[in-house]
Amino acid sequence: MRNVRIINGTPATKSRYGSHYGERIFLLGSERYREWIPWRSKLSAMILKGYEIEMKGEEKILYLGAASGTTLSHLADIVDEGIIYAVEYSAKPFLKLLELARERENIIPLLFDAGKPWLYSGIVEKVDFIYQDIAQKNQIEILRMNSEFFLKKGGEFLIMVKAKSIDSTADSRGVFSRVLKDLSKDFRILHHDTLEPYHRDHIFVHGKF
Amino acid sequence: MRYNLWFGTVDDGIRISEDFKKSFLLASNESPLPFSVSELGLRVLGRDYYRILRKTAIEVAEERVRKELGSDEMYVIALVKALEEVEEAINMVREKDEDIRLVKEDLAEHFERALAEMERLRSQIEKEIDAVMQKIAPNLTEIAGAKIGAKLIEKFGSLKKLAFAPASKIQIAGAEKSLYKALSRMKRGKEARVPKHGIIFLHSFVRSLPKKKRGKMARFLATKISIAAKIDYFRGELEEELFSSLKKRYEELRRA
Repeated sequence: MRNVRIINGTPATKSRYGSHYGERIFLLGSERYREWIPWRSKLSAMILKGYEIEMKGEEKILYLGAASGTTLSHLADIVDEGIIYAVEYSAKPFLKLLELARERENIIPLLFDAGKPWLYSGIVEKVDFIYQDIAQKNQIEILRMNSEFFLKKGGEFLIMVKAKSIDSTADSRGVFSRVLKDLSKDFRILHHDTLEPYHRDHIFVHGKF
Repeated sequence: MRYNLWFGTVDDGIRISEDFKKSFLLASNESPLPFSVSELGLRVLGRDYYRILRKTAIEVAEERVRKELGSDEMYVIALVKALEEVEEAINMVREKDEDIRLVKEDLAEHFERALAEMERLRSQIEKEIDAVMQKIAPNLTEIAGAKIGAKLIEKFGSLKKLAFAPASKIQIAGAEKSLYKALSRMKRGKEARVPKHGIIFLHSFVRSLPKKKRGKMARFLATKISIAAKIDYFRGELEEELFSSLKKRYEELRRA
């Protein structure tokens, strides 16, 4: 993937910025790389499992559930010439996210509820890609609504689905197959897989609108 | 059609807002826009579009973050208190309903309607507690459940106080009366048993176990709640691993 390299078995992103959450910095010749630990980030786990998503570097991305910006900081390294709209509803992690947004010119921080996309419909443009990592029961509905509002026709999405937050008692495999069926109503699913052993009871789903 | 954008409004023509921070929060539209905001914005604001947007977004967020931290906690505390009173009211009305029914059925319909209305209110409050708790204490909500988590915050006074409380205190919170009764009996040299659980007895992992094992589960649950509250207070992000350890312990106790 663009600007990503596996260094000593761990992904890292090429970056001209310093450490955001205490991650290590590697120097390779004249290039700086920020270590991207798969246990901390689901996207890193996905990459380490061998799945990649094509990025040109100038994409417009809507990131739902940015939290304190761990994964976001690496995604911002990858699409260094694009724009990322980062939505997060919790005030506390947002403080940390703001630190990142002040530093990175390609991040637009939005303190909004991703379940109410109409509230930021006059701010976010039509995007090429939606990345979602929200541990909420209605996570599929959130993706659907945001896609209707913002995703270009033919645009792609990547969602990290957590079985337990959809149904805490059911078997996760059953939950996942229901989720995939539900998603395939509105999207074309390109690929999906678990994030074992880095994140338990999670799958990622990559698809097209 | 009129569209509300962060830098102004569009109907027949474009009206640029005088205060971007204000219009940023009014940029709500019922349905998806038939055009891309940035396309229009780049035409109106030129090359600086993204720079101005980013600056506005950061400024608005800074103000809102500052205002939000704190106020949600007070809200959840007020909600918990309201919930308790509403529950009590429901029980009382139901009791009276039964009393009256024994004599005459004439008013039954009115009672039923009032009770249904109150129950709707209760579930509304519960839903709101759920939503706010997800936001201010995701880990506590995951471990203890929104209602128990909110009750603990209310009991201790704030998330901060809960985060700094020892797990043993969390374990018996809500059972102070029987704790001090037991302690004073012990002091006098009599036999007494200290309570195993207070508020956290409401948790399904504690309640569903046989009596003998509840103490073990309550102790374990309290330690995990304590960790969850600390993560929520200091970091505020969901920690995925916490719940699985709790579940594992529950399964162990259930089988043993």
